[in-house]
Amino acid sequence: MDKNPILSVKDLVVRFKLRGRVLTAIRSVSIDVFQGESLAIVGESGSGKSVLTKTFMGLLDNNGWIESGSIEYDGKDLAKFKTEKEWLEIRGGKIAMVFQDPMTSLSPLKTIGKQVEEAVVLHQKVKGEEAKKRTLEILAEVGIPDVETRYKQYPHEFSGGMRQRVVIAMALACKPQILICDEPTTALDVTIQAQILSLIKRMQEKYNLTVIFITHDLGVVAEMADRIAVMYAGDIIETGKCDEVFFNPQHPYTWALLGSLPQLGVKGENLYSIAGTPPNLFKEIKGDAFAPRNKYALKVDYVARPPYFSVSETHKARTWLLDPRSPKIEPPEYIRRLKEMEVK
Amino acid sequence: MDMLKYSIGRLLRSLITLFIVLSMVFLLMRLMPVEGYFGARGDNMAPEVKEQILKSLGLLDPWYKQLVSFWGRLLHGDLGESIVYRRGASCASIIGPKIATSFRFGIVSLLIQNIVGLPLGVLMANKKNGVVDKLGNVYILIINAVPAAVYYLLLQLGGSNIFGISMIYRPGDVSTMILPVICLSLGGIATNAMWMRRYMVDQMNMDYIRLAKAKGLSSKKVAFSHVVRNAFIPMAQSLPRSIIFTLAGSLYVESLFSIPGMGALLVTAIQRQDNTLVQAVVLLFSAMSVVSMLLGDIAMVICDPRIKLTSGKGGRV
Repeated sequence: MDKNPILSVKDLVVRFKLRGRVLTAIRSVSIDVFQGESLAIVGESGSGKSVLTKTFMGLLDNNGWIESGSIEYDGKDLAKFKTEKEWLEIRGGKIAMVFQDPMTSLSPLKTIGKQVEEAVVLHQKVKGEEAKKRTLEILAEVGIPDVETRYKQYPHEFSGGMRQRVVIAMALACKPQILICDEPTTALDVTIQAQILSLIKRMQEKYNLTVIFITHDLGVVAEMADRIAVMYAGDIIETGKCDEVFFNPQHPYTWALLGSLPQLGVKGENLYSIAGTPPNLFKEIKGDAFAPRNKYALKVDYVARPPYFSVSETHKARTWLLDPRSPKIEPPEYIRRLKEMEVK
Repeated sequence: MDMLKYSIGRLLRSLITLFIVLSMVFLLMRLMPVEGYFGARGDNMAPEVKEQILKSLGLLDPWYKQLVSFWGRLLHGDLGESIVYRRGASCASIIGPKIATSFRFGIVSLLIQNIVGLPLGVLMANKKNGVVDKLGNVYILIINAVPAAVYYLLLQLGGSNIFGISMIYRPGDVSTMILPVICLSLGGIATNAMWMRRYMVDQMNMDYIRLAKAKGLSSKKVAFSHVVRNAFIPMAQSLPRSIIFTLAGSLYVESLFSIPGMGALLVTAIQRQDNTLVQAVVLLFSAMSVVSMLLGDIAMVICDPRIKLTSGKGGRV
């Protein structure tokens, strides 16, 4: 892994206008993505994972906008992009995306071949027979059998797993540097999930891709990620290497998230779930957004937003618990159990 | 091969539908008052003479006998003879030129409806909530909310008072075609624009449109190669119907502008109780509806690869 960030987000704020009211979906997020790594962004639904990555490609819905902050990529600030022409330089060729639901990601009226070929023609600057040849190669590479026949078929003739392979082929055909996978396996059944994940991993190595994973499946994270960013209420509250976040988590929300892993459950007892609901993003959030649901919350958590405290060079968390003045609080017992499980 | 099989199967089922519909229409016509058959002098006829006339027309036979002979004649292409409208003339000879007139108006207005309506819908969808979209919506709302009779009249009066165009149609004078064609087109433009916009907006929110954008296609390309194609499928089904229905003409517009077309013919035939002629016109209209649905389904199959041809399910009969 290279130490230079390929993509650097600073103090990003994203807002949406919804039925006349303004909602802050991303509340001043900063994160670096490094060349060649796989970064997993985890968090519950509505925490802003997808919105964050959509800003990298200018794909926010029409009612959303970047309020402030910057997204540095290749010497440019993507947050300042206004015209579609600027974005066309980035989309596909530099940053490509794989969506969650392969059943709806492909146009029902065009053959698989034509849809992948569209990307080949656009980004590899070839036409006709050569474009078709390359399309067939990519399709074969992502594990689609009998490509000559499959090339001429429509999406409805493919299974979910096969369609997701096609979507991945389409992304690869763009020859991107960064591949964003927005919950790529959520809509697939478990056996297919493993196949798709290993396909993405293989392609990452082969093409030296930087992969950003969006997921709420911690199993996927453990399998795929070098680094983890935990999001809560539009903010990244903890980042670190996979081991650091799994075995030495610092933020109480990360504790709670890990606590809800079914593997940690005790037979006969109810599985752990986080009490309360996420905060209302229409209102301004004061202090630590997780404080109302956090039994370890300090008084200061309701008053001031915590800054990032570094735990190690690669590991930091946004919680007052790391302030030297805070009382010493031990993480819950199950976090230690997680460590022991790993040791075994 | 699949296509052929599907079309033949679908055609057979359409024929059955047609048979049932035509028989129903024929039998319903038997319930109509019989005064029409006696012509203008009917009031002074002796009952015996009236009975004689009905008997000669075969109208006193039991209904099933009449139905059989009706189908016999129909299979030979005989729609019967007019009684009042033009006594003794075959219905086919009366209807023929009328269809030609209606078709001339209909096809021009159909072209306008599609050439103006569909792009308007596309434009509205592409700039949703923009000025064009808002104005378009106002137009659609007005056309749908105000009874057609009202704006037809306004157009007719306005056209003749302000531009000095003749209020009624004169065959051979092209300028007199302008107002009726506008009247015929306004509704269709609104309908086409409304649905095209709706389908486009639906498609634009689909995942595959976002993915097409994410792979770097410009919005123009996405709109034309993905959105419009998908949005057009539901429109394709209704296209054959609108083509065929140009033949039927418009009851109201044709009466208003005195156009000697099919719509006006039906109105006159009913008013003058020319039962055979009414029957012939209604038969023709029903046949047109059945055939247009058949063509609509076939058009849909051609446009949409997802429709399975072999199962033969899901089509309308």
